[in-house]
Amino acid sequence: MVDSNHGEKRVGVSRRRFLETTGAAGVAVGLAGCSDDDGDDGDDGDDAIQITMDGEWTGFEDSVIDALYEAGLDESIEVEILPGDFETGARRSDFTSALDAGRSSPDIFMMDSGWTIPFIAREQLVNLSDELSSETLDYIQNEYLESAVSTASDPETGDLYGVPLFPDYPVMHYRKDLVEDAGYDPEGENWATEPMSWQEFAEMAADVWDDNGGPDGDFDYAFTTQADNYEGLACCTFNETMTSFGGAYFGDHGNLFGPIGDRPITVDEAPVHDTIRMMRSFMEGPDAEYADPDFPQISTTDLIEFTEEPSREPFTSGNAIFHRNWPYAIPINFDSDAFDAEDYGVMPLPYGVEEGAGEYDGTGGTSAALGGWHLTVNPNSQRIGDAVQVLEAFASENVMINNFAEGGYIPPNPSVTESVDPDAVGELGAFLDTLAVAGESTVPRPVTIAWPDQAPQIASELSAAYQAEKSPEEAMADLEEELESIESELA
Amino acid sequence: MSTDTRSDDGGFGLTSPLNWLETQSEEVYAYVLLAPAFLLLAVVAFYPLIETFRFSLLANELAAADPFGEFVGLDNYVALLTGNTPFTQQFVAVSLAEGFPFIQFDAPFLQQAIFVTLAFAIISVLFETTIGFGQALVLDKDFYGRRWVRVSIIIPWAIPIVIQGMIFFLMFNPTIGFGTDFMQWLGVFGSNPLSSSTDAFIIVLVADIWKTTAFMALLILAGLQSIDRGLYDVAKVSGASPWQRFKYITLPLVAPALLVAMLFRTMDAMRIYGLIDATAGCETVPSLTCLVIISLESSRRWATASAVAFLTAVVISGFVVAYLLALRNSNGGVA
Repeated sequence: MVDSNHGEKRVGVSRRRFLETTGAAGVAVGLAGCSDDDGDDGDDGDDAIQITMDGEWTGFEDSVIDALYEAGLDESIEVEILPGDFETGARRSDFTSALDAGRSSPDIFMMDSGWTIPFIAREQLVNLSDELSSETLDYIQNEYLESAVSTASDPETGDLYGVPLFPDYPVMHYRKDLVEDAGYDPEGENWATEPMSWQEFAEMAADVWDDNGGPDGDFDYAFTTQADNYEGLACCTFNETMTSFGGAYFGDHGNLFGPIGDRPITVDEAPVHDTIRMMRSFMEGPDAEYADPDFPQISTTDLIEFTEEPSREPFTSGNAIFHRNWPYAIPINFDSDAFDAEDYGVMPLPYGVEEGAGEYDGTGGTSAALGGWHLTVNPNSQRIGDAVQVLEAFASENVMINNFAEGGYIPPNPSVTESVDPDAVGELGAFLDTLAVAGESTVPRPVTIAWPDQAPQIASELSAAYQAEKSPEEAMADLEEELESIESELA
Repeated sequence: MSTDTRSDDGGFGLTSPLNWLETQSEEVYAYVLLAPAFLLLAVVAFYPLIETFRFSLLANELAAADPFGEFVGLDNYVALLTGNTPFTQQFVAVSLAEGFPFIQFDAPFLQQAIFVTLAFAIISVLFETTIGFGQALVLDKDFYGRRWVRVSIIIPWAIPIVIQGMIFFLMFNPTIGFGTDFMQWLGVFGSNPLSSSTDAFIIVLVADIWKTTAFMALLILAGLQSIDRGLYDVAKVSGASPWQRFKYITLPLVAPALLVAMLFRTMDAMRIYGLIDATAGCETVPSLTCLVIISLESSRRWATASAVAFLTAVVISGFVVAYLLALRNSNGGVA
């Protein structure tokens, strides 16, 4: 104590003087901190219109932007494509927080048709029916694929909130050379347009795999698909396979968009269990627990960790023979170093039961999950007018054909796909007939306000069943209960 | 004390408080100086907490731009604790509980998140403290090459969490990782550790221990080095064995530093999120913070997210209080 008193005297500053000085300095610094915050965001007008898409789109950004200007976009409007997360659930999270926080950037979102409606229901997007020219609006509402437009519109008023960018339906990518070497004849048997059953497919795939040495041979997988515990499993890969077996989440397909709480939950039924058992056989073989003894093993349990890109990589790098994916993978596979372009083919996805043989309306036969993406405008954008101009340009045939040729993105206007010159879209031209078959057998995902809660439940119960942590019956009974409780909460 | 007689600046009305201040004790003066900092701390720390609690009393609004609905009291908490909130992964805790002999709760929410979080916090802090103490004892000695040992212990702590998460993610990646084959050869893991809750929990646990043991070692080392070396000399002369020297000198004297270090680690471990997100993902190993993020971003249930966040704060503060009581006792014991 003596020491410290001593020290204080030596410094010789009174409490009063100390408080005055530090107080004044503190206030000055504080004010300086507050006053300097409007310098950096004052001139938004000169920046580019930002569109958050994904890494694939940034890969051919220049050709998209050139096509937009050719379609009549004012050259004073600069456009910049940002690489959003490739995985749909992660992108939804990013957009949810951007819109909830009222951020003004990006100006345009590329939203999955599987989750645009909840944003519309929350009135978080610009109503394009008020903004687009009547010409463009008519063109979109009359010429575009109807099921795509309906997932970009308000279910109650019918107003348009998004411009469909491309519809998406998966196909089976495969190695024609290996299949032919094993004694099959894809051309002669019309694989490109005539779907085969899962039974035929699996036996053929196992045979081709065997021919190449099986699991310990040249290929780690005969077949890869997406079975990770994520949105894509619930909306798409499982949905389409289950549908091809005659199963459904909510009974007849007329119930897909509601009414919530007033529709049957039909997951705990035989076609759904069969689908899970088949996938168990694919991953762990016919003798594994809860597997279907009639199906051979054509893959490994790695499937339960695969989303789109991780499942595509083995195929593109020449390590898988068959691969289920969206058409974006076509141009990438054409460029593969592991095989030649003429050794590569696509076909419609296999089916479980014949078309119409399913218990519910719309089920049975080859089924392709209807994906697809829309462009929507951020209501907090500083330049809504310019952003709408960009969307107007996207609704032009040349831009659609450019996106089709460069990225494999199917035009949202079916007549463009039908009339397109096969030579104008490069190698993709050879696959137009398969894409047409897939486009006719799409199964939409059940997007309602309840879907963001239901999709993770579906994915996680399926994941548990795929890993044999639960029997298919147990997992689906639990899922039924969970879906019912969500339905009754939101009814 | 020499210039305080001038009073010509009294025009600001400060004269009387300043005069009052001059007459107060050192202690009061100290508190006056600290007051602005305390005020700031209160605003920064408590305002968000109170606001979170207020949000948690409102309804979830799924179909409007404003994510909050009307006042519903404790409904969100009731729904959480009775398992009526549509969270996923109910199977997680069950499969975990098969591997660990812990108590199981009936409510799914408690099963998954609190179970995972508490198990993680307790096991990780236990291992980190034990290993960190060992490392600190090694570092406290003088030996050739001590500098290099120090560096090698600290390196994991210097690696950013996401990078570290990616290291472990890639080690167990199905197409390029070597970890899965190795662990299967040992007979420990299944074929897809990052998709299996039990295996992924162990991966996250090991990753966290690998990284943060260094933090414990450093804090404990600081405690060790503040111990008066003369005490050991006296003990040696009196014939105390190494174990007795550790038990009667090192442990009691390092206890306050040890408890503070454990307190920090426990609080950190209870908030585990980044490491999980970068390795197995919240779907596989759901911690309390994971549930906040899931309900905030995926299902957009802000009120539920707030309730989970507030519950997390309550659970953490329970631990903090326990530590503070232990600290008070240990201080008393030493002094």
